[in-house]
Amino acid sequence: MAMTQMEKEPAQELNANTSYDVYEIFVQASDLDPHVHVGSLLAPSPEWALQLARENFLRRAQAVSVWAVRRGDVHGTPDDPDWFAREFDRKYRDVSGYADNARRWKRFKAQAMHIDDVIADVRKE
Amino acid sequence: MPDARMEEFMARIERGDKIEAHDWMPEDYRLLLLRLIHMHAVSEIMGAYPEKEWVPKAPTLRRKMSLAAKVQDEIGHGQLLLRVAEDLAAPLGRHRVDLMDDVITGRVKFHNVFHMEAPTWADAGIIGWLVDGAAIITQTALLDCSYAPYARVLKRICAEESFHMQHGESIILSLAEGEPWQREMLQEALNRWWEAILFFFGPPVVTDAARRMMEYRIRSRTNEELRQKFLTRYVPRIRAVGLEIPDSALRYDDEAGLWRYTEPDWERLSRMVRDNTGPKSQERISLRRRAHQDQAWVREALLRARAAAAV
Repeated sequence: MAMTQMEKEPAQELNANTSYDVYEIFVQASDLDPHVHVGSLLAPSPEWALQLARENFLRRAQAVSVWAVRRGDVHGTPDDPDWFAREFDRKYRDVSGYADNARRWKRFKAQAMHIDDVIADVRKE
Repeated sequence: MPDARMEEFMARIERGDKIEAHDWMPEDYRLLLLRLIHMHAVSEIMGAYPEKEWVPKAPTLRRKMSLAAKVQDEIGHGQLLLRVAEDLAAPLGRHRVDLMDDVITGRVKFHNVFHMEAPTWADAGIIGWLVDGAAIITQTALLDCSYAPYARVLKRICAEESFHMQHGESIILSLAEGEPWQREMLQEALNRWWEAILFFFGPPVVTDAARRMMEYRIRSRTNEELRQKFLTRYVPRIRAVGLEIPDSALRYDDEAGLWRYTEPDWERLSRMVRDNTGPKSQERISLRRRAHQDQAWVREALLRARAAAAV
């Protein structure tokens, strides 16, 4: 496997000079959201990375959790676009692969069901 | 024989691919980007200085709080941009400390508008309204930049600039709604800033560097295109609040579809930026130097604390 992209980042050279590390910052906006990468910063320790993350990325946005990950500890995919290649059509896995259902239900005088309707219905008192 | 890597790189650019920090890139591309982003980062930081002068003197507590928030945003933008610049500079053996030292030694320029005086509260308003307005136009024009780390940071910066835009408008609306002396103060501030704001977009001639940046899709609009967009957006609003633009030659040429204006004194204002000889250049650079030196012990203490913890 090719070297990961993060290993190729110039972070190591940066460390040699300043002794500060690059931290990648991930913010979770609410309990029901995943952590999302928002950017990076330089910090002397993980604790400081979190303090600076709040100053740099949460001056307005609300959050419930922040992760700071030293850049060298992030493992990324190789640059090779083939790594993400789709070998054949995957419509059969998607809703769009069944677009004809709606028309076919009409013949039976009924409607196709959608997941959003089910969720709304189950939530309804 | 043409360099195969270069050909592949240009093919990626022309396909609309985005370039990442770890991708191979021509030296020319790296240096053009680094110069642009380094200057942008430093301008954000130096741009906080004329505004911070007004934090202790703001007319109300609310104005003081919003101005302080804006100053904090500018420094924050500087931090985000420095990270992007650092990743470009690291393979050249240059790091954050070098990028910041360049401000003090005059190796990096910062935008002309931040060399100027802001003697009245109306100047703070004009900076927020028109200087930020001009900066927003140049920054939004870079949102589609071929260098993805810069484009991502710009997206965040532009979101925060929308607050700056409202903040600037709010200050000038209060003054425009005020007493005659307040409107006069606003007019005088506009008179002081107009030429500098037109200069801000850069000369109309497409320099060799600007042409290469367009070929690399780092930027897609010329200085003149952006200045024209600024004039179209702002001239009617400036007039609507009863201000007179201090340029009797300013008019819209219907036939050409262009604004005609008196050109700023390119030579004088370029010299000011190049040699740091504006009315406030040296004072602000020495404030920056003092901040850097006075806080050196904090940076050292943090490193020592980490070294001690690691033992």
